[in-house]
Amino acid sequence: MASTIGSLGAAEAVLKPFAKAINRPQPERLEVSIHPDDLLAAVRALVDESWGYLSAIVGLDRPGQPVTQGESQAEGAIDVLYLFCSGAAVVTLRITLPYSQAAIPTISGITPTAMLYEWELREMLGVEVIGLRVTGHLILADDWPVGVYPLRKSFTGFNQPVAGAEGA
Amino acid sequence: MVQQTLNSSWQNVLTKVTAWARINSPWAIHFNSGSCNGCDIQILATLTPRYDVERFGIKLQGSPRHADVLLCTGPVTMQARDALLRTYEQMPEPKFVIAVGSCGLSGGVFHGCYNIVGGINELLPVDVFVPGCPPRPEGIIYGVAVLLEALKAGKRPEPIQWSGSGLDGVLHSGSGLEDHHG
Amino acid sequence: MAADTNKFVIPIGPQHPALKEPANFEFWVDGEIVTGASVRLGYVHRGIEKGAEARTWTQNLYLMERICGICSHVHATAYTLGVEKLAGVKVPQRANAIRQLMAELERIHSHMLWLGVAAHEGGFDTLFMYSWRDRETVMDLLEKISGNKVHYSANLLGGVKFDITSELAAEIHKGLDFLEERNHFYMKVVTTDETFIGRTQDIGTMTTEKAEFLGAIGPTARASGVARDIRVDAPYLIYDQFPVKVMTHTSGDLHGRFIVRINETFESIRIIREILDHMPQGELTTRVPRRIPAGEVVSRVEAPRGELLYFIASNGSEKPERVKVRTPSLCNWSTVLSLAIGLKLADMPMLLSGIDPCFSCNDRSISLKRGQQGPQVWSWEKLRQYGIEYYR
Ligand code: SF4
Repeated sequence: MASTIGSLGAAEAVLKPFAKAINRPQPERLEVSIHPDDLLAAVRALVDESWGYLSAIVGLDRPGQPVTQGESQAEGAIDVLYLFCSGAAVVTLRITLPYSQAAIPTISGITPTAMLYEWELREMLGVEVIGLRVTGHLILADDWPVGVYPLRKSFTGFNQPVAGAEGA
Repeated sequence: MVQQTLNSSWQNVLTKVTAWARINSPWAIHFNSGSCNGCDIQILATLTPRYDVERFGIKLQGSPRHADVLLCTGPVTMQARDALLRTYEQMPEPKFVIAVGSCGLSGGVFHGCYNIVGGINELLPVDVFVPGCPPRPEGIIYGVAVLLEALKAGKRPEPIQWSGSGLDGVLHSGSGLEDHHG
Repeated sequence: MAADTNKFVIPIGPQHPALKEPANFEFWVDGEIVTGASVRLGYVHRGIEKGAEARTWTQNLYLMERICGICSHVHATAYTLGVEKLAGVKVPQRANAIRQLMAELERIHSHMLWLGVAAHEGGFDTLFMYSWRDRETVMDLLEKISGNKVHYSANLLGGVKFDITSELAAEIHKGLDFLEERNHFYMKVVTTDETFIGRTQDIGTMTTEKAEFLGAIGPTARASGVARDIRVDAPYLIYDQFPVKVMTHTSGDLHGRFIVRINETFESIRIIREILDHMPQGELTTRVPRRIPAGEVVSRVEAPRGELLYFIASNGSEKPERVKVRTPSLCNWSTVLSLAIGLKLADMPMLLSGIDPCFSCNDRSISLKRGQQGPQVWSWEKLRQYGIEYYR
């Protein structure tokens, strides 16, 4: 555990210049919110420190809450989480992208593993990954309709509703 | 074709011989249309020394053109749907379909997921359903045996009367078959 | 991604026996040598992550288990560990011990399965039959414990379903003795059989630096000397009381991957024996609330194929807000894509199965295109045969 705290401390020092907010949801986790423009620099800093490895990229859809009736809905956003692991320590870089600016630069130039994760992110949540060389579908069917992103909360299946989805 | 020029008694013999051959050594092709691998490893396990289906003349092989029986596993995903249909169409007549596993029956635990078309019988005429998640290798072999028993009687297994209560409907088909050739 | 027109493009897939998710690979070859590769997944994409949002926490347990029929227990374990962490529930030690025992039994079954499949891809069907025959011993043990051979459903939110009685423990000991003996035999075959060595040594070599750079995980990485194992790095369950030794190898080639996996099987056998001898006493389950408090959690476990990561977000209701599953095979794809370059086409089946993507079905077609000519179709079987013939 001591080494975990130590490596989290090291990561915190590296990421401090980019951080908008830092918190520790669990003892072994560090979460750093950053601005999309700082993503490349922050990832580069971690990799240069050879701090851990990229373990996953998670997209979270946060649709806007309907305000009051009659008013237009607040714009939703997508959170993109980059999870880096080193031993037991997990560092999360969190980026929040409003629907209208759902685009991030690719980090596959820095860590090639990111390529498949970014591809998946683009396909499932409709986040444009700028500079990602691959095109076409990775996971969804070839005849999947354009502009439908299954992991967005607004998507509830095609003809038949997803079982038990009502009210969710 | 040659058969048309034969007189009817020869024709009869020929039909009998092919039916005999088919029943004694059915060749099966296995298709995974989105399963979790559980069913697939059980199908493969039937080949291995513990179960050894080849001693019954059942052979698992790769090309749909050589196959009599299509062993399907898994729910049908949107991406695999075309490949499944194509595989089925490439098989020569007469052809039979066995759906293995709860997923193949109805979509199983994945029922309702957006990328799932449904069970195998949404797309293909299924002759035998083998329930289980996954079925035991013995169950799969039994499924093939049920099909062969029906073929011996010179007919396809009866279409299934879906009684609406899951397993019951499936077991029904098994007992229905026995009535036929009995 | 346009390939040179005077080169072959060989799409492989979607149906392929050595892949966890039937995938579609494209290899560009110049003569016999592979010059580029790309991948297309999704043939078994079922929409589980979305489906999870429409099911309750408990229902999801069964859904997650069915992500993969080979490592079903680890999926359920990763999920339950995450949910329990969110709920702040402490699971009894005995339940943790049983979970760990099941996980190690599953590792044995998975590694033996892989050994058979990899041998089959290389044309060693005898070894395939041997290892699958012996694997039935583990399957029997799993069935005796849980009642099912593949999806054991050992996990509950807050504990396990079955106990290990002393009769069961005796049976497991007996089974392990047999397995250990057989594993010595496999080790002997793998390290002494000349044809086998000829097809595995110096194939698909990955240096330690490259493995780290590409983010390889699991036995694939450990065969390249990367000592990365969640069971040791971030012990979960009771791996801190019954620690495993990380098995590494320095060669980094296919041969090393065989040796690492067989060594890991030995290690699993040792751990299971230890757990059986020092089984903690106590309850099997504890209560977990129906609504899980809001929050986000990362849960990592070591699956037979490498690190499995679950990201679970709760909004405080009966259903999860988001469940993200990052399977180990996904990480290792990128290693295949880059290792393939410069290798012979005949080595592809072995290389693909070398990362142990679990295998799922038995035919896939390969169409071979050249320039504008119509596609020629190859089956996976043909590629495998081609590989075997090539090495005759
Ligand atoms: S029936 Fe069960 S074992 Fe078979 S594919 Fe479906 S989930 Fe997997």
